[in-house]
Amino acid sequence: MAKDKITSSSTAEYFSKNLQQVGFSSPTKAVLTTLKEAVDNSLDACEEQGILPEISVQIEKLGAGTLKNTDLIRIKVEDNGPGLSLEDVPKVFGEYLASSKFGRGRCSRGQQGIGISAATTWAQLTSAKGVTVVTKTKTMRQPVQVQVAVDIKHNKGVLKDKKEGKLKGPHGLSVEFIIDGRIQLQGEGGLITYLTGTALVNPHLTLHYTLPEQKVVTITRVSNESPDVPEATEPHPHTMKLGEFIAHSHLFGRMALKAWLKKGFSRISDNSLAEFVKNGLDKKTLDMSVDKVSESQFKDIFSVIHKTELMSPSTKSVMTIGEESFSKSVRRLGEVDFFSVVTRKPSICDYKPVAVEVAVARLKGLTKGEGTEDGPVQVLRFANRVPLQFDKSACAMVKAIESVNWRAYGLQQPKDSLPLGPYVIAVSLVSPFIKFKNASKETIDASDELVEELRRTLIQAGQRLSRHIKKEHREQDLENKLRYIEQFCPILVDCLCRITKAPDKRKKKATEGLEKILGRDLTVAKKEFKEADLAAKEAAAKGKIQIIKEESAEAAPEESVSETEVVEKKTKPKSKPATKPKTKGPASKEKSAS
Amino acid sequence: MRSESIPKISKELCSRMLTDLENARRPILEAVKCSLDNSNYNPKVGYLTPGDKKVRTELNVSSVQKMSRAIFLLEVLLRNIDTGAVNTKRELYYIAKGEVKHDPHLKPLDFQDQSESDAVIDFICEMLECYREDLNCYANDRGGQTYSNQLVVTETLPDGTKAIVDLGSLGTSPFQPKNRPQSLQLKAKKKIDFCLVVESEGTANTFVANGFCKRNNAILIGAQGVPSNAVRGWAKLIQDQLKVPIYFFGDLDAYTIQNIYRTLKAGSAASLIRNSDFSAPDVHFLGVLPEDIKKYDLSDYPVKETDVSEARALKKAADALKNDPFFQDKRNKHLSKLLEWLLKNKRRCEQQAFFMVDPRDPTMPEKIIVEKIKKGIYI
Repeated sequence: MAKDKITSSSTAEYFSKNLQQVGFSSPTKAVLTTLKEAVDNSLDACEEQGILPEISVQIEKLGAGTLKNTDLIRIKVEDNGPGLSLEDVPKVFGEYLASSKFGRGRCSRGQQGIGISAATTWAQLTSAKGVTVVTKTKTMRQPVQVQVAVDIKHNKGVLKDKKEGKLKGPHGLSVEFIIDGRIQLQGEGGLITYLTGTALVNPHLTLHYTLPEQKVVTITRVSNESPDVPEATEPHPHTMKLGEFIAHSHLFGRMALKAWLKKGFSRISDNSLAEFVKNGLDKKTLDMSVDKVSESQFKDIFSVIHKTELMSPSTKSVMTIGEESFSKSVRRLGEVDFFSVVTRKPSICDYKPVAVEVAVARLKGLTKGEGTEDGPVQVLRFANRVPLQFDKSACAMVKAIESVNWRAYGLQQPKDSLPLGPYVIAVSLVSPFIKFKNASKETIDASDELVEELRRTLIQAGQRLSRHIKKEHREQDLENKLRYIEQFCPILVDCLCRITKAPDKRKKKATEGLEKILGRDLTVAKKEFKEADLAAKEAAAKGKIQIIKEESAEAAPEESVSETEVVEKKTKPKSKPATKPKTKGPASKEKSAS
Repeated sequence: MRSESIPKISKELCSRMLTDLENARRPILEAVKCSLDNSNYNPKVGYLTPGDKKVRTELNVSSVQKMSRAIFLLEVLLRNIDTGAVNTKRELYYIAKGEVKHDPHLKPLDFQDQSESDAVIDFICEMLECYREDLNCYANDRGGQTYSNQLVVTETLPDGTKAIVDLGSLGTSPFQPKNRPQSLQLKAKKKIDFCLVVESEGTANTFVANGFCKRNNAILIGAQGVPSNAVRGWAKLIQDQLKVPIYFFGDLDAYTIQNIYRTLKAGSAASLIRNSDFSAPDVHFLGVLPEDIKKYDLSDYPVKETDVSEARALKKAADALKNDPFFQDKRNKHLSKLLEWLLKNKRRCEQQAFFMVDPRDPTMPEKIIVEKIKKGIYI
């Protein structure tokens, strides 16, 4: 028998010893996770109240950190949200698992109420200070500044140093963490990657950020509509397992089974009940009281429901960015050449409603790293509109991208790998229940159903994009052919004449004949190019692809582009023939005529 | 085809192309399709021969670069034939780069790496149906180290003089045939009983050091893996000129049977146009045979299917059984059964395993080989 006494620990004690599980596994991740938690909370709070979010982020180095190889870093995030009452402040920042969203089946960024408390704990452990919060709700006269610490033993937030604070707006919240960490700006886990990614999937966000040794950057909102926060709808029966189904019945007490099915679930109507009967459910069972239904009967009912086709879960239960807003937002990624955006109808994957959105954009001006001409494309992953930045290779989204044959759409792709080229593939998955691989929500579990749904969306985006790429290929093909005629005609005829010792007269005649032959090929190439050009224009006119005019890509992001608006580039496309023909000759004349 | 007729045929080809161009017709270059699906096997002929399939390259915008490069390199090769200069493929690659460097007008023809110029040289050979040695383009000599106390080789040099090499006077040094051994004349000082081609060069050396050539009136050749043109041409020469039985001794595995032995006996699909001079159809497979494993209790081991090269060899063997006319011919059913045995049992046994039969007798493998030849235990 064990001599040691069995003791219980608080949730805070557990997490304070296992912060690596929630995104604090390295100094670099600590900075990113703290920022992410603060920004996520701000966005969720603004959306709850229908406020268009304006968030300011300041990150600076204050000196050396207490841990080895770290800096002391100040992270300040201020929003124009509704603010928090002083009563809620210790719960939000100092208490684990205190959440207004847990288990509500909504597509909010935060779910369990762990992240921001973990950030406070990290600050407390590394700089001996919790988080400094300044809050003002509409009803408060003045902003109030307090310091929140986590009472680790009792899993409670403790307020200290309450005083008058300062905020830019009439209401909002500001949080300031001073932590040990390391700053990484670019790359997979970079702060800039996170901030630009957040802006991409939140078109209604205006973001100001100041990073060390960088100028202030402002990303202005491109949509003035605050997204409708999805109502917590009743569960869809196909999203449940048998145990959940039975447990759900206990919440409704004594009522007829058919009434329970209609009231307790979404997408069950009188017609659905009739379908259940058709599929083998005893009509009498439907009139039974729920509390009288036996376990085996529940099993039969459950199996009939799963056999019956029901309407997909309501689009209201999942939140999407929408093709229009996503299109506008994509242009904030950088110098975008052209892009396509697809928002799929929500569907059920692994018993959960999911909605997938994909944007594929070609960027200009990238010179090194991902998204360059020879490197793999840049992949931006989002889950409930939060960027995912680590453990890319294990993620369902990357698996789906790799499974698509991008060569069919004109991109280069090594076998079973990411495609190559100066492209960004942004994949957003929205669902009230995303299956993450870990508590730090870094990567999505790759189930077959989910990968297939993602794959379909990617294929659709690829198909849309391919019309423009094909046109470019044809154009390049045409240019290559022109170049070949100019370059190889004289060489071939010269060599043949030297070997056969043919006179100049034959040489001239052969040159003319060769030009005639190759000219015929050129006519075919021109025709193919025209057809491809027409197809690309049609696709653009239908809003399936957007081609950005060179000047407008650099214009201010506020400039809105309607879904059907297409601005054709007047300059040459991005295709890059190795060398352009410079010599004068009949072929050059033909080209200028074309 | 001999080098002397190549300039004539080339000029005719170029003249035809020029006439086509003058008439604004698309010139077409035709080359033998060197692949398994264009290979025929007739046991009376004894080696893989080309079928009727041709690779046709018609001049158009897409093929103009390939055609220009072919004619450009053909001119270089004709110059070599004219002056008697010889080159390797690598040297020709640099010669082509040099031509481009000295004449900027030729820049579009520039080769980015040797594989590009190699492919053009192969295309010219297939088009003219000649060996690249006929175009004075030689590969490195590899394999074929030969030992014998009875063999005398007479080589006719380009200037017409003759060099005579008595292999018995070379001691333990081998004689190595050239890639085009057809200019050699063979003579036996004394009756030669057999010729043994050993897959492993090292094992062949061991046999010589242990006195194989002193005890046997034989020719011993080290193949050094997949037989080179030199080994293949040399075996053919021994078969035709000396008319002695030839035996191949190598590992019992899919790669050896399907690749090394088949190439030595019947040539390969890639060299369809030269198999007639570079295969020895009378060569027998002496072992290691599955019955040897049983009889001599040899140590064999399972094929590692996780090993990429071994898995590939098995796959190729399975393909060969389905598609290779050599293995499909009923006269070679013993060999195809051997392949089937290997595919089924997934085991392999190395030639050196004969050394385990009596570890204290270094001549035991030789004794087994001689016994197998005497008793006719081979395929």
